[in-house]
Amino acid sequence: MSDEGNASSSIYDLGYRHYEGVRVGRRGTLLTLYTHGLRSCFGLGRRATSKIFPWALAIFAFVPAIIQLGVGAVVSGFDQKIELFKHEDYFTYVRIILVLFCAAVASELVGKDQRNRTLSLYFSRAVSRFDYAFAKLAALTSAMLVLTLGPQLLLFIGNGMAADDLGGYTSDNWDLVFPIVAGSFLVSAVIASVGLCIASYLPRRAYSTAAIVGTFILTLSIAHILMNSIDPAVARFFLLGSPVAWEGAILWLFRVDPDARNVLTDADLAGWVYLLAVLVTIAATFALTLRRFGRVST
Amino acid sequence: MIGIIAALTLRQLLGRGRTILLGLVALLPILLALVYRIGGEDTDQSEWVAQVLFDGLVVTILLPLLAVVYGTAALGAEIEDGTAVYLLAKPVSRAKIIFGKLLAAWALTSVTVLVSALVAGAIGLQGVPGHGLLVGFAIALVAGSLVYSALFLMLSVFTSRALIAGLVYVFIWEGLINGLFAGTRLLSVRHYTLAVADIFVDLPRGVFDAKLGSVPAVGLMIAVAGGSVWYGIRRLQRFEIGEST
Amino acid sequence: MLRDVSRWYGNVVAVNGMSFTASPGITGLLGPNGAGKSTVLHMLSGFLKPSAGEVTVLGEPAWGNPELYRRLGLVPERESVYAALSGYEFVRLNARLQGLPDADRAAREAIRLVDLGDAADRSTDGYSKGMRQRIKVAAALVHDPAVLLLDEPFNGADPRQRLHMIELFRRLAAGGRTIIFSSHILEEVERLAERVLVVVGGRLAASGDFREIRRLMTDRPHTFTLRTSDNRRLAAALVAHGSVVGVEVGDGRLTVRTSQLGAFARAIPTIARSCDVTLRELRPTDESLEDVFAYLVNR
Repeated sequence: MSDEGNASSSIYDLGYRHYEGVRVGRRGTLLTLYTHGLRSCFGLGRRATSKIFPWALAIFAFVPAIIQLGVGAVVSGFDQKIELFKHEDYFTYVRIILVLFCAAVASELVGKDQRNRTLSLYFSRAVSRFDYAFAKLAALTSAMLVLTLGPQLLLFIGNGMAADDLGGYTSDNWDLVFPIVAGSFLVSAVIASVGLCIASYLPRRAYSTAAIVGTFILTLSIAHILMNSIDPAVARFFLLGSPVAWEGAILWLFRVDPDARNVLTDADLAGWVYLLAVLVTIAATFALTLRRFGRVST
Repeated sequence: MIGIIAALTLRQLLGRGRTILLGLVALLPILLALVYRIGGEDTDQSEWVAQVLFDGLVVTILLPLLAVVYGTAALGAEIEDGTAVYLLAKPVSRAKIIFGKLLAAWALTSVTVLVSALVAGAIGLQGVPGHGLLVGFAIALVAGSLVYSALFLMLSVFTSRALIAGLVYVFIWEGLINGLFAGTRLLSVRHYTLAVADIFVDLPRGVFDAKLGSVPAVGLMIAVAGGSVWYGIRRLQRFEIGEST
Repeated sequence: MLRDVSRWYGNVVAVNGMSFTASPGITGLLGPNGAGKSTVLHMLSGFLKPSAGEVTVLGEPAWGNPELYRRLGLVPERESVYAALSGYEFVRLNARLQGLPDADRAAREAIRLVDLGDAADRSTDGYSKGMRQRIKVAAALVHDPAVLLLDEPFNGADPRQRLHMIELFRRLAAGGRTIIFSSHILEEVERLAERVLVVVGGRLAASGDFREIRRLMTDRPHTFTLRTSDNRRLAAALVAHGSVVGVEVGDGRLTVRTSQLGAFARAIPTIARSCDVTLRELRPTDESLEDVFAYLVNR
C-alpha cells in the first residue's frame, strides 16, 4: 500500500520505532514504583472509597497529638507542663491504628499486581525483583511514616509552642529528635515489612487484611498472656516477636525505663535486645518477600 | 430454601486456605491453656480463665476476628467475584437469602469459637470448680457471634470494604474507644457478650466484671441483630450491580 | 419494555432517554463498548434501577422483583462461576435455587440443550472459556424462562462455538421465547438477530431490521487519504466530480469524502491522469465503529 515499487516480498516499514531517547535507568524505575506505590497507599488517583480508610486512619493517628496540643494551648498560661502523651509512649497508644492502616493498604500495594497478573508485565521490563520489592517496601514505610513521624512532629512542635518558645524548646529538647525520628522509622519499617510479606503471600485482599491484623494482634496478645501466665524468664522471649519489642526498642532509644506496670519491666531484658529483634524481624520478612517474588509465576 | 442457601454458603466458606488459617487461630487458646497448665505460675485458675483467656483472648480477639472473616465473606465474596448474580437472579426472597447466609456464618463462627474456648477453658480449669464459666461463656459466645455475624453480613451488602470496616469497628471502636469512654459500651457487641456471660458466671466482681448490665445487654443484642438483619434485607432488595472496587 | 429510560452516575449519563419494546424472537443490542448496552441489560435484568423512566419485563417492573426471575434467565458477562463445582452441579444448583421440583432432570435437560453432556461432570475450573459460557447458558435455561438476557455472549468464543450458540438461540427463539443479547460486533448481530437496536453514547441510534441498517451504513460517505505529486490540482479536479462530497487539503495530504464508493474508485485514476498528477498513496481512512455509529446517530 505505501510503496509503489514492489519486490515479490519485502518488509514494510509500518512506522514502528525504537525508542531512541533517554532511558531513565534503575533509579528512575525505583522512583516510579515508589511514587506510584505511595500514591496508591493513600488512594490518590483512585475512587473515593479507596481513600476513606487510609485517610481516616491517618487522621486517627494524629488525634492524641491534637488532644495534647489542645490541652497544651489551654494550659499554656500556667507554668506547668502537662504531658498526656509522651513521645516515647505515643506508638503504644496508636499501635492498632498503625496496624489497621497497613492492613487496609498492603493488599492494594502488592496483592493487586499479583491478582491482575500485571506482575509479569513488570518483570518483563527492566525491573529486577529486588527493586520491585524494595520500592514497595519503601513506599509502604513512607506511608506509615506519615502516621508515625507526623504526629510525633506535631507533638513536638505543639509542646514547643505551648511553652511559648519554640526555639528554646527545640534546643532544650534536641536530644529527643533523634529518638523520635529513629523510633518512627523503626516502627514504620517493621509494620510495613511484616505487612508487605503477608500481603505478598496472600494476594486476595480479604485474606491479607485479616491475616495482617490477626498476626499483629495475636502476637501481642499471646506475648502478654504468656508473660502473665508462665515464668517471665521463659516468656520474655516471646516478646521479641511481638509488637512489644517495638516498645522496648523505642524506650531504649529514648533512654527511658519502662513503667513499673509495663510488661517490659517483668521481662528485664536489655533495651538493645529489642532493637536487634526488630531489625531482625524487618530483615527476615523482607527476605521472605523477596523469595515470594522470586518464585511467583510470570 | 434457606437450608439450601446456608449449605451452599458453608461450602464456600470452608475453602481450604481460609479454613487452615482460621483453624490455626482457633488452636491458639488451646495451646495457651496447655502452656499455662504445664508451665504456669501459681495464679488463680478461674481468674486466669475468666480474665485472660476468655475475656482477653477469646471474646476480645478470637470471636470478632472469626465473625468478621466469615460474616463478610458469606455474601461479600460472591459480590466481589461476580457470582452473586446467580444467587440473586432467582425467585428467592431477599430475606431468605440473608437468613440463609446468616445461618451459615453464625454456625461456622459459633462452632469454631466454641470448640476453641471450651476445650481451652476445660484445660485451664482442670481440677478447679468452674463457677459457671464454661456454660456462661458458651451461651455468651453463641449469642455474641449471632450479633457480630448479623452486623458484618449487613456491612458486606453495603460495601466491598466490609472487612476492613469491620476490623476498624472491632479494634478501634470496641478496642480503643470503649476503653476510653465508658458510655460507648452501650454500643459494643463485645460488652454485650461479656454481659451475657455474667448472667451465668458466678465470680466476684473483682475477678470478672462485665461492666454492662445484663438486661440492657440482651435487649441491645436483639436490637442490633434484628436491625442489622432488617437493614441488610432492605439493602439487598435494592442491590445494584456497580463497578467492583 | 423500556420507556424513556435514563440512567446516570453522577455526572455521567450512561443511558439517555431510551425507549423500545422487544417482542418474542431475537433482538440484538449493538453498539461500541461503553455505549450503554450492559447498562440496559442490567436494567432489564433487575440489577440496576433506572434513574428515570420505566423498565418492565413481561408486564412487570424489572427492578426489585425477585418473582420475575421465574420467567427470566440471565447470562452475565463476567466469566466467574461458582468454584469447585462440576458443570452439572452448578446447573443443578441454579435449578434448586429456582425452586424447581425436579432439579436433576431440569439440569440434565439444560445441559443437553447446550451440548455439554460429556463435560458436565468435570469441575468448571477446568473449563475452556467457551464451555464456561455454555454452562452459564444452561444455568440460565434450566427453568425454561420466557425471556433470556445475554450480556456479550460471544465474547471470546471461537467460530465453532459461535455457530453452535447461534443454532441454539435460534431454536429457543423459535419456541416463542424472547431473547435479547448484546454485542459490539456487527457480523454476530447480523447473523443472529432478527431485530437490531443500535446503541451509541447511551442513545438508541437505530432500530429495525439489520438489512436496513446495513444499507444505511454503506451509504455513508467514505473518506480517503491521498498523497500525490500535486494535491491541490487534483483536489480542484475532484471537486468537480459528482461522486465527491468534500475535499480537504492540508498537511501534505489530501482528504476526500465520497458518497459513491464505486464511482469514485473508477474515476480517480482517470482524473489523476488527466491532471497529470501522480498518485503516490491512496488509502481509506481508518474508521472505527464509533465513527460509523456516530454517523448513524447524526442522521
